[in-house]
Amino acid sequence: MSRSLKTSLLGFAVALGAGALLAACGGAPAEPGFSGATIASALPAGRIAEGELRANEKGAATGQSCVDCHGADGNSPLDPSYPKLGGQYRDYLAQSLQGYRSGERDHPLMSNQARDLDDQQIADLAAYFASQPAQIRDLHGVHSIN
Amino acid sequence: MMRPLPIAACLALAFSVQAPAALAQQTATGDADSGRMLTYTCVGCHGIEGYKNAYPHYHVPKIGGQSTEYLVNALTEYRRGTRKHPTMEVQAQGFSDQDIADIAAFLSDLTL
Repeated sequence: MSRSLKTSLLGFAVALGAGALLAACGGAPAEPGFSGATIASALPAGRIAEGELRANEKGAATGQSCVDCHGADGNSPLDPSYPKLGGQYRDYLAQSLQGYRSGERDHPLMSNQARDLDDQQIADLAAYFASQPAQIRDLHGVHSIN
Repeated sequence: MMRPLPIAACLALAFSVQAPAALAQQTATGDADSGRMLTYTCVGCHGIEGYKNAYPHYHVPKIGGQSTEYLVNALTEYRRGTRKHPTMEVQAQGFSDQDIADIAAFLSDLTL
């Protein structure tokens, strides 16, 4: 076996190991140009104005719109078990809708609500709710408060 | 020939179908001080602004300030495996009902 072949095989094994380690840890810092299984990033660009219209439209399956249950800005849930959506990360919102659409995530109302959404509609809705004022936050520094 | 399902099995089936809707009511009262201690681990992913999962690749959601009911349901579903996420399923399997209630109490109290 030639030296260069050995070197490239070794490099491949190291890359494979690193990939497996990352997958096992379930998390990695954001990397520009990362091209893993990027479900959310495969969506078209979201349009806030179109998303707002869609968020107010009654869904055929449930007879209800997004804002009927989550509130106009996504922050006034009708039922305490419904999440606040305003200011949530856009790609997380899109991922949630895609999960409900595919059946990977299940909820009596959301599964029906998301079933007929296309990629553009999901991207628009995610863009709209992400653009609204946030009442939710990440956990940065929460243990040093009081 | 097929035997009819025993009554107990039918009852179990009926209750298992209804169970998800009643998730939030089954839990204990949460203790936010205990939740504070239990959530140090959460910060590793949920406490870094702009942090993304490796797989699937999207931002780890903001969960501070979500309602107790939403948080209890989410953690309980991860523990059962009815909601999917590699890291969250493993995390939730280590939590008791009381732990989940405590975590939810602490997180839901957080404000901006």
